[in-house]
Amino acid sequence: MLRLSVNGRTTEVEVDPATPLIFVLRNDLELNGPKLGCGRAQCGACTVLVDGRAVRSCQMRAGDAVGHVVTTLEGLGTPERPHPLQAAFIAEQAAQCGYCTNGMIMQAAALLQERPASLDEATVKEVLDHNLCRCGTQPRVVRAVLRAANGRGA
Amino acid sequence: MGAEMPSRRAFLGAFAAGTAGLAIGFRWQEAAGQAAPAPVTPMLRSNPRLDSWVRITPDGRIVVLTGRVELGQGVLTAMRQIAAEELDVAPERIELISGDTAQTANEGVTAGSQSIRFGGEALGVACADARATLLGVAATQWSMERAALGVRDGVIEGLGGRRMTYAEAASHVSLVRPVDTTARRKPPMAATLIGTSMPRTDIPAKVFGRQVFIHDMRPEGLLFGAVARPPGYAAKLVSLDMDWARGLPGVVAVVRDGSFLGVVARREEQANDAARKIVAAARWQDGAALFGGKTAFDHLLTAPAETRTIHTTEAGPAGARSHRAEYRRGFQAHASIGASCALARWDDGRLTVWSHTQGPFPLRGDLARGLRMQPDAIRVIHAQGSGCYGHNGADDVALDAALLARAVPGKPVRVHWTHEEEMVWEPWGSAMVVRLEAGLGADGGLASWAHDVWSFPHSTRPGGSSGCNLRSAWYLENPVPPPRATDGALPNGAAARNAVPIYAVPGQKVTTHFHAEMPVRTSALRTLGGYFNVVAAEMFMDECAALAGQDPVAYRLRHLRDPRLVAVLQRAVALSGWQPRPVTLGRGRAQGTELVGTGVGLSKYKNSDSHVAVVARVAVDVGSGAVRVQRMWAATEAGRAVNPDGIANQIEGGMVQSASWTLMEEGRWDGRRMTSEDYHAYPIIGFGQVPAIESVLIDRPDLPALGVGEGSQGPTGAAIANAILDATGRHVPEVPFTPERVLAALRA
Ligand code: FES
Ligand code: FES
Repeated sequence: MLRLSVNGRTTEVEVDPATPLIFVLRNDLELNGPKLGCGRAQCGACTVLVDGRAVRSCQMRAGDAVGHVVTTLEGLGTPERPHPLQAAFIAEQAAQCGYCTNGMIMQAAALLQERPASLDEATVKEVLDHNLCRCGTQPRVVRAVLRAANGRGA
Repeated sequence: MGAEMPSRRAFLGAFAAGTAGLAIGFRWQEAAGQAAPAPVTPMLRSNPRLDSWVRITPDGRIVVLTGRVELGQGVLTAMRQIAAEELDVAPERIELISGDTAQTANEGVTAGSQSIRFGGEALGVACADARATLLGVAATQWSMERAALGVRDGVIEGLGGRRMTYAEAASHVSLVRPVDTTARRKPPMAATLIGTSMPRTDIPAKVFGRQVFIHDMRPEGLLFGAVARPPGYAAKLVSLDMDWARGLPGVVAVVRDGSFLGVVARREEQANDAARKIVAAARWQDGAALFGGKTAFDHLLTAPAETRTIHTTEAGPAGARSHRAEYRRGFQAHASIGASCALARWDDGRLTVWSHTQGPFPLRGDLARGLRMQPDAIRVIHAQGSGCYGHNGADDVALDAALLARAVPGKPVRVHWTHEEEMVWEPWGSAMVVRLEAGLGADGGLASWAHDVWSFPHSTRPGGSSGCNLRSAWYLENPVPPPRATDGALPNGAAARNAVPIYAVPGQKVTTHFHAEMPVRTSALRTLGGYFNVVAAEMFMDECAALAGQDPVAYRLRHLRDPRLVAVLQRAVALSGWQPRPVTLGRGRAQGTELVGTGVGLSKYKNSDSHVAVVARVAVDVGSGAVRVQRMWAATEAGRAVNPDGIANQIEGGMVQSASWTLMEEGRWDGRRMTSEDYHAYPIIGFGQVPAIESVLIDRPDLPALGVGEGSQGPTGAAIANAILDATGRHVPEVPFTPERVLAALRA
């Protein structure tokens, strides 16, 4: 039995601690935010925040999340109270299929928390360089992150 | 769980988005009033029933149906716009049903940039017909002229404040009848929704982590399936200890049918682990080596092929000299971020499959043949997946899910391929060789043009009349092999898509050398052969321009007769600040340790669709041969723009993807199978390499809407290729333009 703190709630799940965190989040806790992409730490689709840091949930064992605070896309904001990044992604229409969107937003959320002041285009591109998007929405994603950073989410 | 597992609930009422930031659009100045009546769109001929497009329910719901499916291209937003426009209802009031074999029109596959052009036109006419019919009811009841009535958000309004809802009007007339194909859509100038950048209706759900994808569907009692793939395409299963396999953790069922082997387990990671262990424990017998050990290009050029000359025009005076060149591209993958996924459930011999296929009806036909059952015992319902960019594993995984779910009747089984599985087992985009030969007149002008293309198939999709194009069917005890692959005929073409020159030149000849047999299975990758035919032909144009000592843009303009192509070319060139100059062969343009150049690419997709011109500026590192695309400019004209921001998203996304194909993408294989199985072995473009892009749209509301989903791939690759030629003065004939290849050309 693992006690996990996810999106502000503590839940117990009956699962092997070696299970990759992504499967517990998606299949046990029925969260949709983190997406399974490569499963090899190469694409970023599965990104979540663990104690505020961006972590690839396909690589983390569920057991290692015990005692830490996990946040997924669902925990970031809601349509009523969107996180500035969520509002900015809508405003910039920064998605096509949207499969990579979770990773883009979660990676950027960690960045905004760490370095809110000095955000320029080059930094955004560098930090997101290992988050892949096959639809080619990178220019829009950069615009959305900069929009959120500049405090004009919507 | 009922058959309905709504995944789109969350989308309704999700229109609170802000304005979309888009590029510059300008309206064509001399846009004329009324467009000529278009011929009946083929979609209405094959799906004539009005109620397969629009239904008004007695309780006032407005249900719009489309056979087209959302692939992340925003098509459902555009369809909603079209329906809301023609019906005069608020877009958010429309309930949209898409791609369900039990409900919607059979529109074949959502592919080839045809959704808006054909499917959107059909929907528009059907909705215009419905509106006119309902107005007619009110006009009769109130004894008023139809022209005196108006509609506001689904309520008909007449003189003296009379009002009648659509639902009430619909109760007096039958909408269950064929569409009146003479119904007139609103004149473009009266449109208030079409032509605006209405925000995408699916994006809010995607940024808030709502259930959107099949991957997110969790019906009661869900089990997980995984396929234990053979170690090579031709390998056969010899033996497996089934009892051992059944005892693996979490395993509920093991399915063995010929060389098809898979498991159903209680948890997703258990299914994946079990499949991995089973692959290793099973005994397999290897098949013959791929390509008999040759390169794919040698195979294409030397193995027996069907050679056909498919296009010729009358010869003109012979040229004073000739130029010829060869270009090659390797296998390229769809490489979707999320691998293919499907959910299947059997109930009393009937099968329901949720799939992100591009063609629910074609998939149903192939599932029926693969499973040896009647198509009407199968229902395929579309739900979204990760972007596919053509025929990836989406259809195949549906059969996998059906085969595995058959072992656990009444239980839903979800199969989500691994990324490695997708890369190794999906159909790849074909390797191609193109040879071009032109005669040049004394003034340097083109006097003849011959385009030869060697290729494997570009469409082996489900949807034929025999056989089964779902991969696992070939491995069954009683296999259902695929039908023999064919090449698509002109004017659209498949291997020869866009091989017919857009330039006015006498003595044209296009010849295909088609390989129906494919050691590596190939199928539709966005644009089919179009991308590479445009890249090759446009590189060749620049070489001809260089031989003629002329500026590449001026050289193109002197051979162009199509004013729409001239318009986009001039617009892109102006945007980029193009400096006219001849390309100098054999000499680079040095700037420090880099060579810097600018190139242009132009195409009219399928010779009948969107017009796109791209200019690219690149820097080539002299020491490493690495190419960096610094900036790209594009101009697009696709007739009437239904949703300008949607077009910009498609065009710009296509440019990024094409830059990735052109600079870095190439599949590799060993004796048994493709080995480019992850993003290390098959890298795709990252943020660091994505250049700044400026794109403009030329709106022509006076002309029918054209497809844009594939318009920018060819010209982007061509512009990058020509920028490399300009920077280096060297011919680099093979895509992708990897540092090694560019360096080899520099040192040659
Ligand atoms: S799925 Fe975790 S990094 Fe790709
Ligand atoms: S939007 Fe499709 S992968 Fe990024």
